[in-house]
Amino acid sequence: MIRHALVMAVWFHFLALAGDRLSDGSRATAAEPGVDYVRQVLPILSRNCFTCHGPDESSRVSDLRLDRFVADALGDDGEPASDDEVDAFHAAIVAGDPDSSELIARITSDDVSVRMPPAETERGLTQQEIETLRRWIEQGAKYEEHWALVPPRLVDPPEVRDAAWPRNEIDRFVLAELERRDIAPSPEADRVTLIRRLSFDLRGLPPTIEEVDQYLADRRPGAYDRLVDRMLASPQLGERLGKHWLDLARYADSDGYLGDPLRPDAYVYRDWVIGSINRDQPIDEFTVEQLAGDLLPDATLEQKIATGFHRNVMKNTEAGADREEDRVNRTVNYVSTTGTVWLGLTVGCAECHSHKYDPISIDEFYGLYAFFNNVEDVNLPLPDSQTLVSTTAKVATPSGDPGKPSAEPGKGDPKTEPPSLKAPTIGELAASKRRVTRVHPRGDFRNPGKEVTPATPAVFHSLRTRGDQPDRLDLANWLIDPENPLTHRVTVNHLWKQLFGRGLVNTPENFGTTGDPPSHPELLDWLALRMVDQQWSRKAMVRLIVQSATYRQASRVRPELRQIDAHNVLLARQSRPRLEAEVVRDAALAVSGLLNTAIGGPSIRPPMDLRVTSYSRNKDWPVSPGAEKYRRGLYVLLRRNTLYSMLVTFDAPDTSVSCTARERSNSPLQALTLLNDPVFHECAQHLARRLSAAGTERPRYWIADGFRHCLAREPDDHELDRLVELYLTQRDQFADLDDVEVDALIGQRLEGIDPRDQAARLIVARTLINLHEFITRE
Amino acid sequence: MFASEFERQQARRQFIMHGLHGAGTVALAGLLGRDGASAVESSSTQQQLAEQGAAPAIVNPLAPRVSHFAPRAKNLIYIYLEGGPSQMDLYDPKPILNKLDGQPLPEELWKNVQFAFLQKESARLMGTSRTFQKYGQCGMDLSDLLPHLSTCADDIALVRSMRSDQFNHVPGQLLMNCGSALAGRPSIGSWLCYGLGSESENLPAFVTMVTVGRGVPGGSASWSSGFLPSVYSGVIFGNGEDAVQNLANPRGINRTLQRATISAVNDLNQKRLEAVGDPELASRISAYELAFRMQTAAPDLVDLSSESQATLDLYGIEREEPKIASNLGGTGLFGPFARNCLMARRMVERGVRVVNVIHASWDHHSSLEPQLKHNCLMADQPIAALLKDLKQRGLLDETLVICGSEFGRTPLGENRSGSAKVTGRDHHPFSFSLWMAGGGVKGGQVIGETDEVGWGVVRDEVHVHDLHATVLHLFGIDHTRLTYRFQGRDFRLTDVHGNVVKALLA
Repeated sequence: MIRHALVMAVWFHFLALAGDRLSDGSRATAAEPGVDYVRQVLPILSRNCFTCHGPDESSRVSDLRLDRFVADALGDDGEPASDDEVDAFHAAIVAGDPDSSELIARITSDDVSVRMPPAETERGLTQQEIETLRRWIEQGAKYEEHWALVPPRLVDPPEVRDAAWPRNEIDRFVLAELERRDIAPSPEADRVTLIRRLSFDLRGLPPTIEEVDQYLADRRPGAYDRLVDRMLASPQLGERLGKHWLDLARYADSDGYLGDPLRPDAYVYRDWVIGSINRDQPIDEFTVEQLAGDLLPDATLEQKIATGFHRNVMKNTEAGADREEDRVNRTVNYVSTTGTVWLGLTVGCAECHSHKYDPISIDEFYGLYAFFNNVEDVNLPLPDSQTLVSTTAKVATPSGDPGKPSAEPGKGDPKTEPPSLKAPTIGELAASKRRVTRVHPRGDFRNPGKEVTPATPAVFHSLRTRGDQPDRLDLANWLIDPENPLTHRVTVNHLWKQLFGRGLVNTPENFGTTGDPPSHPELLDWLALRMVDQQWSRKAMVRLIVQSATYRQASRVRPELRQIDAHNVLLARQSRPRLEAEVVRDAALAVSGLLNTAIGGPSIRPPMDLRVTSYSRNKDWPVSPGAEKYRRGLYVLLRRNTLYSMLVTFDAPDTSVSCTARERSNSPLQALTLLNDPVFHECAQHLARRLSAAGTERPRYWIADGFRHCLAREPDDHELDRLVELYLTQRDQFADLDDVEVDALIGQRLEGIDPRDQAARLIVARTLINLHEFITRE
Repeated sequence: MFASEFERQQARRQFIMHGLHGAGTVALAGLLGRDGASAVESSSTQQQLAEQGAAPAIVNPLAPRVSHFAPRAKNLIYIYLEGGPSQMDLYDPKPILNKLDGQPLPEELWKNVQFAFLQKESARLMGTSRTFQKYGQCGMDLSDLLPHLSTCADDIALVRSMRSDQFNHVPGQLLMNCGSALAGRPSIGSWLCYGLGSESENLPAFVTMVTVGRGVPGGSASWSSGFLPSVYSGVIFGNGEDAVQNLANPRGINRTLQRATISAVNDLNQKRLEAVGDPELASRISAYELAFRMQTAAPDLVDLSSESQATLDLYGIEREEPKIASNLGGTGLFGPFARNCLMARRMVERGVRVVNVIHASWDHHSSLEPQLKHNCLMADQPIAALLKDLKQRGLLDETLVICGSEFGRTPLGENRSGSAKVTGRDHHPFSFSLWMAGGGVKGGQVIGETDEVGWGVVRDEVHVHDLHATVLHLFGIDHTRLTYRFQGRDFRLTDVHGNVVKALLA
């Protein structure tokens, strides 16, 4: 039975194990270790006890609460406590005396009828967890706040044995953890890998051969830093980092729901994001403008456009749908999305009941809701699209960008380009129309409960209000208040995740008690404070991270670490993420020379199998004309019910809710896409033309050239041999092929080369863009 | 370099198999033979890769494997009617409920119960206008909405005492399909393929066909491989000409050219795998091999021209669909759903281990009468046809067919606030019905019993975990011994639960 309970508990807790193990391991050598309430005790109580003995009054089953310390009729949260609660608490936990504590008696009882947690909850504690609770009580049963609610503390980067390895402070935090376990970091990646890594991470595009050569030729000190500067100045930075933000913003080009009507103006917000990142708008400003740009004094057009953030929510316009119900749903989504994106908290749970694990009551949820309850949609007329893009997405065009470095806005699809643009923004209802906010018990807006006014949860720092009544701008300022313990941590964690494939907190959407604890808590805090110190500059933080030795490590998998750190939590190497869906597309277009690098403008429609749209009510998918269809993946029209299938196959999010972490799957359907999808085949044809232009004399020469186009590095002899063998075999076989077949294959004949030779090169080209390495950032 | 294309292919195959090793031994090590929870001594792909340097074994992650004991079933067809079909309108006659229609439910039954929309204080019991009759030699009571399934009563084991813990769709679907309400776990089909491998060299081991109605709330999680290698995930099949998107080669690329490309891709990927040790490369190699084989096998699979008119008629593929104003489960799906049922048989014939046939939705919070009737008209005939077809071809003995959902529906009418009329039922995980047939299941029997209004189970409760233990048992797998080590722990489909329901076994 004990074993049963033991296995059970591990089962429920497996998600947190990676993080826990790190902290446990680090303490293993200490004599008589002190138990850390926040990291060791709270997760046990939160997962096993809080449902019935926690903050949610509706599911509480007795006077006993274990989520707060109580004495003298008061809880440590400042809220009153009944005598019964105080008695129950002090019977359960007798500080310093586990043997007299009812809690210990109950969790260790052999009697199923009294043992906690009750059998029917299917929860249970491991021996180790029981021991942790026992020691915690023995050591005084001290309650502390959940780590994420305690403001970060500036800790000096630790001393390390290998003082030569660190390039900046980040590395000392990482190396100290590695040294504690006698693990050496990986060597620095070679320069070709570094430029390709940086190029994908900061631009979402492979480097050109010229860029690689330029970097390799720069033997002066500081070459890497100069490369980083070039990348950070590239207009593609806004597209790359912007796409991550658009995932969070649940950006799409349609309403969703039954009819899924298009939002032809939605891109105005998308372009604002790109432009904001390119001009390195400080993230605090970026935050305030998106949540409350309309309320800023003398708000500019751009500040209003920024409020399009919450216009990305799905909207039900179906005839017969309850309009008020939909408005309530959207307003709830404003709150939960704001909570997820900036606070990293699942505040949405409190929509229907007080949060079971984190200190957010249902009343407090509706306090947040009240900030948004008088929001109305405002469609703001804009001068014309040309002006718009120049004010939002315009950036300096640096030298050395891939493809044709044109920052001209896209022309878009004439069919979707509206006669006059109206930016989707939000505003506040007129005084006469304002709604009173009431709690919706159990999430049912039809049975409103008590009235609430805009307020932030009590557990946090206080809200500063500018006027009589708190408003959205106050809320936005509260989020970026230096006292806010979450926004800066959550933000740097997102940036970190983009550059390492995994966050320091592996649950970027959940910094609450049921989320994972940070793998490097002091580093997280240091980065958060550093960002504030750097005036919330995104580029400064990205620069800092990519300049670290940690980032610059090789990514080769280290067999000796498989038992210790299978998921590379300790960062003893770089990660090897498969490219994101849009980047897979962009990479193929880039190496084939087809990529249209225009920035911004209406969304486009590349060719797609119409079966995908046939399930929907709007079957229309007119392919964008000319070079428009070769634009980057982030410009592909996101119609929620019929997403572009290539993007779905490569795990793009469904845009229904904020996406903080994409899946990374590996499937035969991805193989079929890269091999057979008309877009990828066209890329292979064009890459083949590029390779055919080099002449026929020395296959080893043009094959190596093609290899470098696609993978940046030189092939080794084995790789080159294999590709040459492929080319020669196919060229021989094509001798028997009739002209019609050959022409079908190559699409278009090139001057000065035998079409059968061109066809054989096509086979080499499609091999290259099907390599795993081609779609992997190493 | 090679004397013939054949030799080259042989050499290449060896090469590929080496490449598959990484993903492959995972399964073998995690499997059969060794005892208990310690079955997996080294489990993750990374771990295996590390050890492969010296003497790589040749292992295909989908190679057929021997089970713990003699299996009764070889294939699974899992028909999933998403949303929670109403058991008291289909499978579980409640004459007393009809008599109590309009009465409140005793408070002790609903006091601590959660509902999605139902206002429990004012809710009233709702009888059914369906009529039940006894069918088959076994005398199984079934509703008039199931005239075709009724003729198969002696083949099916009807479980009226199913029990789930999850009240909402997504967690309910995760529990029912993956054994846990938490996301990230492998689905039943993935566990079976991990345990037994594939009988098909050319088709995925695990196929999912979704008849598009309302959409499946849990999405691909229901057929995902979770923390198992992704080769064990269900692959989505459509039922058109080009069953899987991008299945056809671009113009001018014939089969030989495709093979040459894939061979070169995989050789180079293998080379890279040796250099960088990334197990994703092994998965990629295996994905390309399967993609290639699927290209031939899939078009043949979906081509129904070899099927007789009698067979097409049996499934009702060309039936007319009656008009309905609106339907949560979608309209225009009579043909597609019937085709999917027929395809399930064709897949089983070709060795596909697990076929998941999904239709959404049966979530009748309102308009239950007309919409449940419409859904049944769509589903009843093809499902019964599938049972008969499998039986007459001698496939039913080794094909386990399950028809179920994540929960059932309340005997209370759903008086959702804002709705003028009570025309539906809310979610009900405390008791619901599900049936199984073939594959070692003892047909012609009813397992379990609910109370007189169908609120709770009064006899022989079958929890979802028990169902999973039983399914694995039918495939010759001891559910306590099929494990996979993930994050330091051996996981199973049934976690620490599950008892094989002996009464279900033939």
